[in-house]
Amino acid sequence: MNESLDRLREEIADRVGRSASEADIEQLRVEYLGRKGTVTGLLRGLKDVAPEERPQRGEELNRLRGFVEERIEARLETLKTEKRSEALVEERIDITLPGSRRERGRIHPLTLVMDEIVDVFHGMGFEIARGPDIEDDYHNFEALNMPKDHPARDMQDTFFVGADRLLRTHTSPVQIRVMESRKPPLQIIVPGAVYRHDDDATHSPMFHQVEGFMVDQGIAFTDLKGVLTHVLRQIFSADSRVRFRPSFFPFTEPSAEVDIGCVICDGKGALRNSQTCRVCKGTGWLEILGSGMIDPQVFRFVGYDPEKFSGFAFGMGVERIAMLKFGVEDIRLFFQNDLRFLRQFPTF
Amino acid sequence: MKLTLNWLKEFVDLRDAPEKLAETLTMAGLEVESMTPARAPDGSEDWIFELGITPNRGDCLGVIGIAREIAALKAGRLKLPARKAAAQKSSAATPVKVEIQSPRRCHRYSAQAVEAIQLGPSPEWLRFRIEAAGIRAINNVVDTTNYVMVETGQPLHAFDLDRLSAKHIVVRQAKDIATFETLDEAERRLAAEDLLICDGDVPVALAGIMGGRNSEVHAGTRAVLIESAHFDPATIRRAAKRLGLHSEASHRFERGVDAEGTVAALERAVALLAEIAGGRPLGGVVDRYPRPAEPEAIALRQQRVAELVGVEIKPAEIEKNFKALGCKVQAGKTSFKVTPPSYRSDLTREADLIEELARLHGYEKIPATLPRAPLGGKPDARLRAERGIRSYLVGEGLVEAIHLPFTSAELNQRLPGLLAGVKAVPVLNPLVSESAEMRLSLVPGLLEDMKVNLAQRSKGFAAFALNKVFFLDSENAPAERQHLGAVLYGRRARAGLRADEDPFTFLDAKGLVEGILERGTTEWSWSDDDLPPFLHPGRAARLGAERTNLGYIGELHPAAAEELSLARCLVLELDIEKLLQYLSPKLTVRSLPRFPSVERDLAMVVDESFPAQRIIDWIKDLRNALIENVEVFDQYRGAPIPAGKKSLAYTISYRAEDRTLTDAEVQPLHQELVARLGEVFGAQLRG
Repeated sequence: MNESLDRLREEIADRVGRSASEADIEQLRVEYLGRKGTVTGLLRGLKDVAPEERPQRGEELNRLRGFVEERIEARLETLKTEKRSEALVEERIDITLPGSRRERGRIHPLTLVMDEIVDVFHGMGFEIARGPDIEDDYHNFEALNMPKDHPARDMQDTFFVGADRLLRTHTSPVQIRVMESRKPPLQIIVPGAVYRHDDDATHSPMFHQVEGFMVDQGIAFTDLKGVLTHVLRQIFSADSRVRFRPSFFPFTEPSAEVDIGCVICDGKGALRNSQTCRVCKGTGWLEILGSGMIDPQVFRFVGYDPEKFSGFAFGMGVERIAMLKFGVEDIRLFFQNDLRFLRQFPTF
Repeated sequence: MKLTLNWLKEFVDLRDAPEKLAETLTMAGLEVESMTPARAPDGSEDWIFELGITPNRGDCLGVIGIAREIAALKAGRLKLPARKAAAQKSSAATPVKVEIQSPRRCHRYSAQAVEAIQLGPSPEWLRFRIEAAGIRAINNVVDTTNYVMVETGQPLHAFDLDRLSAKHIVVRQAKDIATFETLDEAERRLAAEDLLICDGDVPVALAGIMGGRNSEVHAGTRAVLIESAHFDPATIRRAAKRLGLHSEASHRFERGVDAEGTVAALERAVALLAEIAGGRPLGGVVDRYPRPAEPEAIALRQQRVAELVGVEIKPAEIEKNFKALGCKVQAGKTSFKVTPPSYRSDLTREADLIEELARLHGYEKIPATLPRAPLGGKPDARLRAERGIRSYLVGEGLVEAIHLPFTSAELNQRLPGLLAGVKAVPVLNPLVSESAEMRLSLVPGLLEDMKVNLAQRSKGFAAFALNKVFFLDSENAPAERQHLGAVLYGRRARAGLRADEDPFTFLDAKGLVEGILERGTTEWSWSDDDLPPFLHPGRAARLGAERTNLGYIGELHPAAAEELSLARCLVLELDIEKLLQYLSPKLTVRSLPRFPSVERDLAMVVDESFPAQRIIDWIKDLRNALIENVEVFDQYRGAPIPAGKKSLAYTISYRAEDRTLTDAEVQPLHQELVARLGEVFGAQLRG
């Protein structure tokens, strides 16, 4: 009797182990454990067993039923795992295909640079001022100590747009406009477009400047050096070499041209192949901004007492800085809006 | 200003290597723009330096002036040639009379006649030097005047003495003399105020600018009159500028020549003519100098130097530096009286002296400090808003474009944007005639970009510009406003495997604008009245708020697109300055609703021309407290909807603030609404 149960047990184990699908297993479950199933039949037959043998027989049959249930569950689990593994293999994708996204647009490189400069100054306590692109002679020249017939006007060829109306040749007239309407202390930054009657690979009839000035009691040339050195090192790199050399602007005195060590040849004046660096023309230095202590005459024009207040002013060309930072060789690229150019700039 | 180092060496000892000298000059404000090795005709090594001389330093437009700077900077000695009052004294009477009729414009006029000239080419060494200075060699007389000009900074002019028939030099304004032929064979139209050098009544030179053809040195010249004068800078500049005649002479006179140096330059020229052209002085120097300039002392406070430069400069250094510059210095206890030399006409104020001190002290030696200033600048609302708009548009796939603001009158007329009927600002001196006006609109620039980029086989184009437009206001005064313009064409660009998005439509353009309007504090209105004529009349809209016109969006009119050979695309332009007034930087968040809403859809069949917004407006006008929101979510044409009709589908959200609405409550409400919509709009309802 026991032997036949053992055989049955083996037979079930074998058949369940070989079953290949949930349906097969379900069929086996019915065959053995269903209402008319083999094991169910044996259990039903217990009532015909001698009473003294019944407990043992019952226990054996219950164990068998438990065994069958367990095997079926285990087999189901195995099949599920196998099936999932197969699915994982089938669902495998090519991760080397390109990512998919909507293309973002681009901020114009000049905006990127202007934003960067403005942020550096903003962090130092400067606030933004704006002024008209169409200026009058007084604010663009006269009040900046450039009277009519002054040769300094040659440095700024002018577009005229009406009687006594011109396109500002620099952002400096905003200095005058701010000082006319406000009193020191002032720390102002003026980003904007300026215009010169000029057009070639290094000059555009329109370009951008960031002008700035600081006026208070006791501002000295040493402060000009400190602020501009700090700013240039933020814009270029923390170890940039910065030099100040005497120059002339009608609206500042003393005036200084500010150079940084050439970013192309690292200030050496020559490239690795020992050719002369074209960008700094071999000098190792790049002119980056004009600056100076505001001329007392300018203070008189706006009604400040030059004995009481002093200050410095500066202006830098945004295109020039962008050309150096990004290695752009032709200024006109900034205004052609060719997507092949603009798309090279980062989206954030 | 170009010169050779060997020339410079005649006046000052140069111990430094050329590179070091260049550095010294640059750091003293005389920027060396280039240095080129050269070989002089005698075989010696030389260098040609090109210096950028700032407009205030007329005194450095001569070799001696540069030598003087080097001597001051390097504590060297200036070696000036001994002044020989003409090589051979002439006992003959001076053959020419000089009369200055405009003493305010001509401060000094010195002249010397030279005879026995053997006209011919100049010696090699002289030609080399003036050519190195960028001046063409002509003959020994003209070359001599140029050589002395480059050396001393004093422009000279040589007249053919025999061609001066009156032998009476008159310096006067042109007045009624209308034209004059300069030696470059051009007929010059004069202004009454122009300064002329006349021989009697006949003009022979445009003072300080160029000589005349009638008195020019020529092959037969035997005797000359050398002019060495001092003219008013502004007079020379005005005439040179108006005539477009910029000469080596006018360049120097405009920037200030030493009035005390005329005779020395004359003597140098006479000596040189004797040496290279066999010339002999004829009579003595004529020198008219009606009001010699009085040197004026300038007060300099030591304290002021410290305040402005930020460092203490010792009195001894102050005195030493000004003396090195050729100034007379009178030292007081805390101040100085400094009298600049005649050639430094740029030094007139204390500020000028302080600059010189800082320069000679060396900018490099002045320390860098940070001023005490308030921390952190004020936030700038406009900057923040514009940055926000930029980054939003970039996120939506648009590229920022920046354009020159010039355009043609034709484009301004065709595409005036928001400024139709407004006059454009003319550019009086445009670079080219196609850029003779300032733009009224940002759109033409963007359309041009689109054309160029599509020619580069770009599949779509989506770009914006945030910049100024210009116009004449009602009083004809130029005015400017900040606008936002954008162009959308083709499909939105995607990265990755090809999965085309739908082409841009009017609704994409509108959606773009609505994204900006989200921050609004007002009711926006879209209308299709009064559309600009360059837009498709059935696919365009104007944006307004409180009866203010804020902008437009729409498809370019097919006719306009064809005329401008453009693809059909969407354009939009907003007056961002006005718009920003309706956008609030403030935001108040509503708390979340406590009870759920109930949504009901309805669809209506209406005429093709029926605007979807009308239903929404009508329902909102009911002001039913239980209707929270109405949205249109679909528009359908085609079977089973009859031709000429369309179906519009809406979702209506019902919500009560104080309880959960039940179906039983919503159902009659919704049915009544549907019934009334049917009555009011005669619309057929779909299930």
